[in-house]
Amino acid sequence: MQQFKALFLKEWRESVRSFKLLWIPLVFILLGISDPIMNYFMEDILKAVGNMPEGFMMTLPEFQPADLLMASTGQFQSIGLLVLIAAYIGVFSRERQNGTATLIYVRPVSFTAMYASKWMVASIIAMISAIAGYAGSMYYTALLYGTVDWMKFFAMLGTYCLWLLFVMAVTVAMSAAFNTSIAAAVTIVIISLGLFIDSLFGGFWSVTPWKLANYGIALLTDSVLLKTYWLTVLMVVGLTILSIVLGIVMSRKNMRQLKI
Amino acid sequence: MEALSNIPWGLIAPLLVLQFVLATVAIVDIVRIHETRGPKWVWIIVSLFVNTLGPIAYFLFGRKNQ
Repeated sequence: MQQFKALFLKEWRESVRSFKLLWIPLVFILLGISDPIMNYFMEDILKAVGNMPEGFMMTLPEFQPADLLMASTGQFQSIGLLVLIAAYIGVFSRERQNGTATLIYVRPVSFTAMYASKWMVASIIAMISAIAGYAGSMYYTALLYGTVDWMKFFAMLGTYCLWLLFVMAVTVAMSAAFNTSIAAAVTIVIISLGLFIDSLFGGFWSVTPWKLANYGIALLTDSVLLKTYWLTVLMVVGLTILSIVLGIVMSRKNMRQLKI
Repeated sequence: MEALSNIPWGLIAPLLVLQFVLATVAIVDIVRIHETRGPKWVWIIVSLFVNTLGPIAYFLFGRKNQ
């Protein structure tokens, strides 16, 4: 526990000093508020861009509040996750490369505490960012379109935080298992390509980990069966635990890769 | 001038302020840091003139730890 506290503080300071605590939430807020504003001014934007033929008529869809939150989630899932993965893919592998790890590994340090500290800090930053982003999105949605049921909104937020815990567990585990560039490739294939493939062929099955964020949004409009929702949650929790175990085992095994 | 006053600034201002803060943080960091990956002046120009994506690109790819 003592070790975990010290390592946690070290990781936290590193995130603060490299401004990650500041700029990642800012990026999420910008992503979150851009969609409600863009859709609200869409008519003006089309008019200003011009080049529409004479008498051109277009009926824009009437957006419900849940649609705007869904659009923001789409932004977080594509750009936001890439930013988070890129920011935290080096936590293990870069330490091994630049020699910081030698300073830590000469002490009898527990790899469980090390993995847990890195994963916790990455997850906390990710969750702060997501909460800030959704707060910005919800603020503008409430201002321009109307509100949603608050209990359901918080359920959605909790679901998304669970998904981020899973993403960060995979990111840190891959960083423990491979060197930085391979780890980045593997994580992006697992998370981003997985999301893409699931959105293409996802109609054929109902329970995959990549559907969790969409089911969280579907909670807002009651368009998901609670049984499938909870099965997905269970699956994601299981995979998170699996990634944690894999990460701890691989970080111990890769101690040999250390450059001195 | 009339076009300018028609814009609902109350709605747009937060967006502009956030972009400004992001760019400021990036530029302060570039100036104070010992060394960046690639020349410093390029990163300053990129952070200044590419909205949102410029500072993100600097923090992800241009920043050297230690």
